[in-house]
Amino acid sequence: MKNVFVLAEQRNQQLRDITWEAIAAGRKLAGELGAELSCILLSGRVEDMAQKLALECPKVLAVEDPRLDTFNSEAIIRALVPILQDKGPFVLVMGNSNSIIDLAPGLSIALEAALATDCFGLEVHDGKLMAIRQMYSYKVNALVSFKDAQRVVVTLRGGSFSFTPSKQQAGIIEKIPSPLGEDSQRKRFLNYVEAEKGDVDIASADIIVSVGRGIGDEPDMEVFQSLAETMGGVLACSRPIVDKNLLPKYHQVGTSGVEVKPKVYLALGISGAFQHLGGIKGSPLLAAINKDARAPIFRVAQYGIVGDLNELVPILEEKIKAIKKS
Amino acid sequence: MNIVVCIKWTPDTSEADLTLESGGKDIKKDDLDFDVNDWDRFAIEEAVQIKEKMGGSVSVITVAPDDAEEMLRESLARGADQAFHLWDDAFEGSDGYAVASILAKFIRDRPYDLILTGTLADDDGGGQVGGMLAAMLNIPSSTLVSKIQIQGTTINFNRELEGGLGEAIEMDLPALVSVATGLNEPRFVSIRAVRKVSSVEIPMLDLGEIGIDESKVGYDGSRIQIEKVYLPPEGEGAEIIKGNPEEAAARLAEILREKGGIG
Repeated sequence: MKNVFVLAEQRNQQLRDITWEAIAAGRKLAGELGAELSCILLSGRVEDMAQKLALECPKVLAVEDPRLDTFNSEAIIRALVPILQDKGPFVLVMGNSNSIIDLAPGLSIALEAALATDCFGLEVHDGKLMAIRQMYSYKVNALVSFKDAQRVVVTLRGGSFSFTPSKQQAGIIEKIPSPLGEDSQRKRFLNYVEAEKGDVDIASADIIVSVGRGIGDEPDMEVFQSLAETMGGVLACSRPIVDKNLLPKYHQVGTSGVEVKPKVYLALGISGAFQHLGGIKGSPLLAAINKDARAPIFRVAQYGIVGDLNELVPILEEKIKAIKKS
Repeated sequence: MNIVVCIKWTPDTSEADLTLESGGKDIKKDDLDFDVNDWDRFAIEEAVQIKEKMGGSVSVITVAPDDAEEMLRESLARGADQAFHLWDDAFEGSDGYAVASILAKFIRDRPYDLILTGTLADDDGGGQVGGMLAAMLNIPSSTLVSKIQIQGTTINFNRELEGGLGEAIEMDLPALVSVATGLNEPRFVSIRAVRKVSSVEIPMLDLGEIGIDESKVGYDGSRIQIEKVYLPPEGEGAEIIKGNPEEAAARLAEILREKGGIG
C-alpha cells in the first residue's frame, strides 16, 4: 500500500471530532506501511478546515463545492471516486459515524475496494493490513484480512484511536476542482430535524439509572423510575427500550441518542453495546446488574452484580432508603 | 408498489455463552437459537404497512441455509406475498459483498420499486449488504431510516445523525432504504396466521437457478476474510459483588453512597 487516505468528516463546514481519531489511525497505518498520509476534505468552503488539518497531515486534498456541505452520501461518493481512481493501491480510513455508515458500502463498490466496518484495531502483519472488529453481540473479536485487495476501505469505531496533536510543520494543501458534474442528484438533503425535547434532561444529570433489553419484555417501569428517584437521579435507557415505546427517545443514551456525563451510572439489564457506551462520557462510576455474566458491560463497569433484576432492584431501593434515613 | 425485503437469519448471542469452533474462525452455532435479524423485523413490518396503504406486493428474500424457511414463512404470515429462499452450499463463507452480489443477481431482473433491509445485522454488525446491493443495482440508498413517506416517484424519510439530531432526505424511486429499529411496531403473528400459510410453497433457488458464477460467492467471492475469532481478553473488568441478593444489594448501595450515587 503506497497511500493512506483519511476522509475528513464535516457538517456545514465544521470538522467533526471523529476526523481526528481517523487521522490518528491513518498516521499509525502510514508509519507501519511506510506509506504517505493524505487527508481528503470535501466541503462548500475548505480554507479554515484545511489549515487545521494541514497542521496534522503532510498533505490535504481539498474540494470546494456547496453540494458537499451536508455530507450527502451520493455527492460524497461522486466526489471521492475520481480523486482516488488514479492513486494506485491505497487504504482509505474513515470514522464509523452515522454519516459514514450511509456511504461506506456504496463507496466500496464504486471503488472496487474491500471494506471492513466498525473496526477498533488496525494492524500490519508482514506488510499486510488486518482489521480487528467485534461480532456476536460484542462478545467475540475477529481479525479480518483483505485478501489481495489493492484498495481497502476501513471505518473506525469511535473512541478506538486517541489523537494527540503532532505539532509538525504545516503540510501542503492541494485544492482540487470539484469533480461533481451537473448530473441531477437522486438523493437530496431537505433539512435537519432537531431532537425532540422532553421533560427531563438526562444530559445534565449527575446520577443516572439506565435500563436495557435485559429488563424483559413487559417490565414494570415504575420500579426503575422509583429507584432513580430514590437515588436522586433520572431514568435513562438503551435503544431497545425506546424501540418498544417504553420510554421516549430523549431518555436514550448513546451515539444516536443523548450524550451524558454523570458522576454515577447504574446500568440495569444493559448488555453494553458500543452504540450505548459511546454516549457515556466523562468516566463516571459505572455499576451494572445483568443476568449474563459474559455481558460486555462487565468489561467496562467497575462494579457488577450477576443476578435477577426483578429481585435485586426492589431490595437495592430498600437499602438506599435505609442509608438515606441513617 | 413492488417492495422487496432482504432479511437475514441470525443466531441469538445476546445472552448465550459462546465457544469457538475448533478452526478458530467462527463460534459454535449448533446450540444457538436462530431467528430473523431484529432490525429486519422492522423492515418487513414497514413493507407490509406500505403495501396496506398503497397496494402492490411484498417479496421477502434471504440468503441462508435450510432452517431459515421458518423465518420466511413467518414473514408470509406477517403479510408478505412471496418469499424466496436463496441457498447453495457454495454460499457458505460469503461476506457482505458476496451476499450483496447474490441478492443483486436475483433482484436485478425482477420488478421492484423499493428495497428494504435492516441497517445492521446482530451477528456480524457489518452494515454492508444494503448499500452494496443498491450500488450494484445503481439505485440510491440510505441507512438508519424512519418516518418513511412515499409520494409519487419519490420517497421521503428521516435518518438518524447523532445526539437525537436527524436529517430529512428525499430520494428518487426505485431506491433502497435500510431501516432503523423502532420505526414501527412489528405486529404480533398468531399461530393461526402461520398455519394459514403453512402450505404456501417457498421456492429454494441454488447457484445455477440464480445464475451466478461460483467464483462470485462464498469464500472465493468475498473481499474480506476472517482470519481468526477470539474472546476478548478479560482485562480488569468489573469487581463482581458476591453474596445473596440481600448482601449484594447492600454492598452496591454502600458503593453508590461512597461514590455520590445517592443524591
